Amino acid sequence: MILQWLSNACISFGLFLWLWGTWPLVGRRSPLYKLHFLSVSDTLGSMAIMIGVLLRIPREWPLLVLALISLALWNTILGYVLAYCSQGEDSDG
Amino acid sequence: MNYLNFALRLTIWLLLTADFGLVNLAIGILVSLLLPQGRGGVATLRQWLSTLGKVVMAVPRAYIEAIEMIVRPHRHEAIIREPVDPTRAPGLIFLDIFTITFTPKTIVLHYNEEGWFEVHQLVERRPEK
Amino acid sequence: MTAFLVIMLLILGIPLYAAWKGEHIWSKMLAFASIATKAAIMILLVSVQRDDWMIGIVGIIILSVGNGA
Repeated sequence: MILQWLSNACISFGLFLWLWGTWPLVGRRSPLYKLHFLSVSDTLGSMAIMIGVLLRIPREWPLLVLALISLALWNTILGYVLAYCSQGEDSDG
Repeated sequence: MNYLNFALRLTIWLLLTADFGLVNLAIGILVSLLLPQGRGGVATLRQWLSTLGKVVMAVPRAYIEAIEMIVRPHRHEAIIREPVDPTRAPGLIFLDIFTITFTPKTIVLHYNEEGWFEVHQLVERRPEK
Repeated sequence: MTAFLVIMLLILGIPLYAAWKGEHIWSKMLAFASIATKAAIMILLVSVQRDDWMIGIVGIIILSVGNGA
């Protein structure tokens, strides 16, 4: 029962981060500025949701932990690559 | 032997197969030893452990920074340079970049071989020039 | 659980709109990367809701072979 409640709290928190971090995407700021917010929503928010899912189905923990680690790794690398690319474009043009 | 490589391969194997039996563990160790090794500098175990500790500490710090960004809007951007020891092993430099980019307020833009990162930062107040 | 999924679908609309409208190429790339991650997480939640772990495995594979790339 407590686990269920905790899982709901985690997923809600993750959804809040998703909403908050995705919103600046429609604004007119530089891609780098948006990237900071995306790292809040897509990395941290998604990790919170994954933890919520993990609390709901603990029997599948090995695969979920693998997904959690690779989520953090890939999103961070993607952020670095996108930052590097978008900056190169700015200095060219 | 590269500690991080070995640990990473074994962990992925164990999580992927979800079987912690002795036979599976032996297969995992064998596979992670037999897979081709990359070249690169060697680092001491102490360096690995301290860097891995920083990576683990980055998770709660990232959430704290996210909450800070929500509570107090950070509207300004700044680019700073951070020195890094150029003789560090490539794996450690990768972990450094990971730690900095993982925290939402900072993103590594560029790594220069001469020994510094270019870090893009989100700040509350307009930086003085 | 269904409420969570509906909210997720609504949030997924934001990057879709940004990708459709974005004039800067890298903003567009950011939006697509965001869609990829969000869709993978949604797959996981759908699998929990329908109690079908086979769907979840698909989500795990998408996440671990590098979403967005």
